[in-house]
Amino acid sequence: MTTARTTVVLGLGLAIALLAGWVAFPRALYVQRHQPLEFLHKTHAEKSGVAECSQCHALRDDGTFAGIPPMETCAGCHSERMGTSKAEAILVDNYIKPGQETPWLVYARQPANVWFSHAVHVKRGALACAECHGTYGETDEVRVYEQNRISGYSRDIWGHSMSRLRRAPGDGMKMGDCEDCHRRRNVEAGCLGCHK
Amino acid sequence: MSARYGMAIDLDRCTGCGACMVACAAENNAPPLPQATPRTGLTSMLVRQVSNGMEGAARREVFIPIMCMHCEHETPCVSVCPQQAVEVDKATGIVMQMPQRCLGCRYCMTACPYHARYFNWWDPAWPAGMEKSLNPGVAARMRGVVEKCNMCHARLHSARAKAAAAGKREIDPADYIPACVEACPTEAIRFGNLADENDPVSRDAHSPDAFRMLARLDTEPKLYYKSKEAWVRELAESKSGRGPEVKHG
Amino acid sequence: MKVTRRDLLLLGAAGTAGLVVTPVPWKLLDDVSIWSQNWPWIPQPTRGPVEVKQSFCTLCPNGCGMRVRMAAGWPVGVAGVSSHPISRGALCPLGYGAHQLNWHPQRLRTVRHRANSSSWGEARAAFAKACSEGRIAIVDGQPGRAASSVMKTFVQKRDGSYRVALGPESQALAPYEIWSGVPAAALGYDLENAQTVVSFGAPLLDGWGSPGRFTRLWAERAAGMADPQLRLIQVEASLSGTSLSRTAARAWQWVPVRAGAEGALAAGLARALLDEHLVSVSARGPMPPLTVAQAAEQTGLSTGAIVDLARTMIARPPVVAIANDGNPAIAALNVVLGAAGARGGIVRRSKHAESYASAEGVIDSARAVLIDSTVPWDFTPKTDAEVFRFAAWDGGSSKADWLLPAPGFLEELTDVPTAPASAVETYAVAPSLVKAPPEVQSAAQFLGGIDPASITVEKIIHTRCDDLFRGRAGTLHGQEATPVAKVESVQKLEEQLWKGAVWIGEPPRSGDFRCELKEWPATGSSARVVNRSSVNWSRAWLAPVLPPLVSKLCQESSLREAPERRNS
Repeated sequence: MTTARTTVVLGLGLAIALLAGWVAFPRALYVQRHQPLEFLHKTHAEKSGVAECSQCHALRDDGTFAGIPPMETCAGCHSERMGTSKAEAILVDNYIKPGQETPWLVYARQPANVWFSHAVHVKRGALACAECHGTYGETDEVRVYEQNRISGYSRDIWGHSMSRLRRAPGDGMKMGDCEDCHRRRNVEAGCLGCHK
Repeated sequence: MSARYGMAIDLDRCTGCGACMVACAAENNAPPLPQATPRTGLTSMLVRQVSNGMEGAARREVFIPIMCMHCEHETPCVSVCPQQAVEVDKATGIVMQMPQRCLGCRYCMTACPYHARYFNWWDPAWPAGMEKSLNPGVAARMRGVVEKCNMCHARLHSARAKAAAAGKREIDPADYIPACVEACPTEAIRFGNLADENDPVSRDAHSPDAFRMLARLDTEPKLYYKSKEAWVRELAESKSGRGPEVKHG
Repeated sequence: MKVTRRDLLLLGAAGTAGLVVTPVPWKLLDDVSIWSQNWPWIPQPTRGPVEVKQSFCTLCPNGCGMRVRMAAGWPVGVAGVSSHPISRGALCPLGYGAHQLNWHPQRLRTVRHRANSSSWGEARAAFAKACSEGRIAIVDGQPGRAASSVMKTFVQKRDGSYRVALGPESQALAPYEIWSGVPAAALGYDLENAQTVVSFGAPLLDGWGSPGRFTRLWAERAAGMADPQLRLIQVEASLSGTSLSRTAARAWQWVPVRAGAEGALAAGLARALLDEHLVSVSARGPMPPLTVAQAAEQTGLSTGAIVDLARTMIARPPVVAIANDGNPAIAALNVVLGAAGARGGIVRRSKHAESYASAEGVIDSARAVLIDSTVPWDFTPKTDAEVFRFAAWDGGSSKADWLLPAPGFLEELTDVPTAPASAVETYAVAPSLVKAPPEVQSAAQFLGGIDPASITVEKIIHTRCDDLFRGRAGTLHGQEATPVAKVESVQKLEEQLWKGAVWIGEPPRSGDFRCELKEWPATGSSARVVNRSSVNWSRAWLAPVLPPLVSKLCQESSLREAPERRNS
């Protein structure tokens, strides 16, 4: 057998593996899911005058974080349709009127044994929302929710970059990412500081 | 800034009611385990009834709450764990057990001189619907991992979040009270910061009636017991051969 | 060009080497490890905001203040309320597991007629038929509530009978009613001012009254002290081979009397007090029929011991004796001691109480008997009538013809009248914190369905708040203590009560009631052998089942004996 042929076969094998691993695998691993309705942050902010993240994504007095606002917050303005968008129609008809919570898909959802306090990080740590969550909230982007078929969690946890190299800020929310930031800022936490 | 949380347990006040045991189980999502026995149960907080071995008018009994002693010196469980699933927290002195990291070798259960560690022999299960009553602050465990008292860490978390939301650096001590301390009707169990010399628990720890369990092992437990009765203090070294545990059922 | 085996091997090798520098193996390892830690059958707690609401534990008549942490409308934890003047932040071990009771496997969810499933419609029809055919008797386990008022009115309108099944703390006060004419429901023990308490088998430190009351008093004034301010003397039978009861183990003095001889000891002590002139002439009561020597023989103690005990009892007045049941001998001892109507003894706490007929006797000439869910399961009515029993949990075999599912823990609005044995009147409102399942109904609601003219529990509570406000007496204990006279309006008063405040009446005055006792009461053999099992919590606990975590406490430790019914 010639060296050329060997090289070709090896090269072919390598190419197939690399393609499978870097292109096919990520596509197969994640199932694309869509939010129940298309919420456009920027447009909403402009139209309603709600310009600060914390006006809807609020910190309660006892220090817990509301996360995505409950249906009650939306119902404060949208108890009836205010505009003509399809998204609002879905909100009012399917959720606000029947009194059901909208089943938002949470990109940053962590396992049940994780305790993350927004109060500690945002108020004491003075972390801006974008540092972990990206600038998504300032755009009209409606991101697809990519769910890992094996673990069940969002792609945002591992991060979009499969190699976990050259990542945008906020891309990746695994324990290692938390540890990196803690190390950079020299803040000790201890196991139960972040776990339940 | 760093604290050394500990307890002072007055055995003269403990009536053995068991409210602390139930409150601990409720706070930590302990499953009811209808199939468990005293050997296979999950009782992070366990009250033992011990007598002085005599009968009739000379008989005396005492109730001793036992849970993790949060040892400070060469902590036995920390030194044997192959997974580093347990460590002593620098900020609070609490010996933190991470059931999620545990691989279930149970070496720590052997190492603990106080028998304060418990193994999940079964997956936790509750009667239909009862899981709605679980405490959201504490994660559920699965079978095959060891657990123990973590000084009601969920309450420390809430206290920290509350302090941060109010812009404070230190937690308000009134916000962090472990379940057993809150439940005790006679205030036999007191909780506080041993690093603060003005803390009543710190003062109790230095009283002449105070003692620690198996002090000769030099594990430096942070749980202090108190009793004015000499026979009770002698129980701590487990040398006298007296003081059989009273068993029922 | 043939594809050879070598080609395939080379392809495979290169592929494997290539895979290693792709995310596949590393990501799969990570994902599989996460998957293996998230088994779907492990129950997870609810996510969502947690709020703390206040109500009162309604599982026994003591009504301890209770703070409930709620997540998504379900109770996820309980704690006491430190501002409650009686319970003072304590709950019993049963209270700490109570929030899980509504899901107990023995929860009643369907109407049962004898062994078969039935419906509310049929039950109502049967009861209405019974009402038209004869008299109705109703048994209430917790008299004084608004629901009790609904039940009483119902039977009064139909010439029926209203009876109560009382717990041991209340039974012990029954003799005084006969001797003074003051209803037993108006009486209590002024333990806060007593310095010597002689308990005849009553488990004062383990399931007697609210745990925050006597246990705290004892902890503050006696625990660990060589010369305590509060001397607790426990008279209790010694059963060899078993441990001491908790109260005997912690008491200042334990008096090991022969089982069943408590009444004889009370008589012997009274005799010693009178013979040795240890009590003042004005308090001289009836002479007991036993001599000290005879009492010694019956109790197993020496005459010297009895006389010494008598001297010890009055060494630090005020002294009061507490019986474990309705044994009148111990009540008579209190008369001799001068404790009846005195500070630190038996006091009258209310002017407005009423006498109740006991449900212990034979209920004859009734066509049907309705038993409220507040009556303990082991109560069996002595009757041949058709029995309609309300209960939230099934306690096993019972004499009921109809078993009717009642609201469970914190599932219905109710009020909390004065606890038995309390020295002051109290009143509180226990709002419902948990939505009741659609298949349950309380006795009061059921009767309301039969008689549309009956007033609802909510209206009665409103009227009571109004009465309290107009009375201008007592104090409201909420975040702060405010005298009622200073409360601006009845709305403000109601608002406070609905938020968990407790109204507490004026302290009792000595001399408010007097006992006339000419002869020593016949003791009979009524004194029961004291239940020495370590399952010695409040016998007034209403539910026939234990909270699952309490059963767990019995099974997984040696602290308490496992009860017969397990939690599975």
